[in-house]
Amino acid sequence: MELLNAFVVSLQAVWANSGFASFTMGNGIMILVGLVLLYMAIAKEFEPLLLGPIAFGCILANFPNTGFLDEMGVMMAINFGIKFEIFPPLIFLGIGAMTDFGPLLARPSTLLLGAAAQIGVFIALVGAMLLGFTEKQAGAIGIIGGADGPTAIYLSSVLAPELLGAIAVAAYSYMSLVPLIQPPVMKLLTTQKEREVVMEQLRTVTRFERICFPIVAAILISLLLPPIASLLGMLMLGNLFRESGVMDRLSDTAQNSLCNIVTIFLATGTGMTMSADKFLTAQTLEIIFLGLVAFIFGTAGGVLFGKIMCRVSGWKVNPLIGSAGVSAVPMAARVSQVVGMKAKPGNYLLMHAMGPNVAGVIGTAVAAGTMLAMMK
Amino acid sequence: MSQPVTTNPFIIMLINMTVVFAVLIALGFVINLIHYLDPTKPKAAKEEPKAEAPAPAPAPVAEPEPEVVDGVPQEVVAVIAAALMSYGYGPQQIRAVRPIERNSWKNSGRTFGVTQTVD
Repeated sequence: MELLNAFVVSLQAVWANSGFASFTMGNGIMILVGLVLLYMAIAKEFEPLLLGPIAFGCILANFPNTGFLDEMGVMMAINFGIKFEIFPPLIFLGIGAMTDFGPLLARPSTLLLGAAAQIGVFIALVGAMLLGFTEKQAGAIGIIGGADGPTAIYLSSVLAPELLGAIAVAAYSYMSLVPLIQPPVMKLLTTQKEREVVMEQLRTVTRFERICFPIVAAILISLLLPPIASLLGMLMLGNLFRESGVMDRLSDTAQNSLCNIVTIFLATGTGMTMSADKFLTAQTLEIIFLGLVAFIFGTAGGVLFGKIMCRVSGWKVNPLIGSAGVSAVPMAARVSQVVGMKAKPGNYLLMHAMGPNVAGVIGTAVAAGTMLAMMK
Repeated sequence: MSQPVTTNPFIIMLINMTVVFAVLIALGFVINLIHYLDPTKPKAAKEEPKAEAPAPAPAPVAEPEPEVVDGVPQEVVAVIAAALMSYGYGPQQIRAVRPIERNSWKNSGRTFGVTQTVD
């Protein structure tokens, strides 16, 4: 009898400690959300390298009683990497090592397109504040329009950590939907004649310029906007690895092994912020809507400024390259290329669009820095 | 800075967009400055006139007309010339327009050789 009693008590204790006993409807819904995201990542190939670990992190975050964030362990260490803004600058190191600033250096005027496309960030900020979000939350939501995942995570982990999961998911989802969101806006705002503009070949950029740019840009921007010195500094350091020609091993590690390792941690950790209590709110739907608004207005801002540059330059700039100002490297540049090719077969805009595309990365980081300086 | 500077969203937008434009314009100046100070650039500048100088020279030289085999229509010659020009070749660089000999053995040998090289 005593044996049976002990057995029942033990079973009850095991049940009480199991996840099933504490499992809520919210957990179930979030695990379903995670499965849908996994389906999108694997079957539809929507940013699979990022959405995959985010989705799995979301599933992990909704197992009750795991104590992931209560005791020191690998999950808490990953969470620290996000909470203390460690991973986004490391990702930027890899991005810098992968990025060719040549098209930007050959045509610096495309920086203006990268700046103009940031209008989406601030229109979403205004929309968020009108919907009742605080300034800090609105700033973090607006940065979705920058189409730059690491910057969005960096800014929201500082300004609105409670919204990190929703913001990251919205940012990466829309980034993967860039080929669907941008073309209708680009076609709506341009005429056939504008889309057919053929741009002159870019000048050759010397090695001296390629080496000097990351050094001087890091000094200038870090002095102007210290809150983003870690982001921009790492971006430029990675680029220096690439362009110096004498640090190939470091460049290779930064753009491959290190970037992959940090991506795993960053994306999984981001997914783990998607617990039911934080994600299943009306705010999440509003954030997803505002993210779409930010993307559309960012694309429109770049294209409209491209039209101005087209006229000012005497029809030497194709306005379609303006949409690439929303970062999302290199997907947004590819969209400019595809839409341009449809308007005029043989009109290659890819390298021209890479200028505003990398300018957009810098522009989004600058926008984040300005908001941090104003709101932190 | 614990207190936000302003809570008016439109002012925040205006200030931020101004700063973004200002910083990126400043970066544009820096890029132009680097290009201006580039010590490796003058060499390229000196080379440019050299490269351009021979360009007008061939103009007065009467380039031989491309050799066109009888039976090839003028329209075909024009289309081939236009296609080559779209890839950056001038009409002077076209030496001859003639149909390829239909030699199956030779062609299959060439194909085999190219495949072997690529592999």
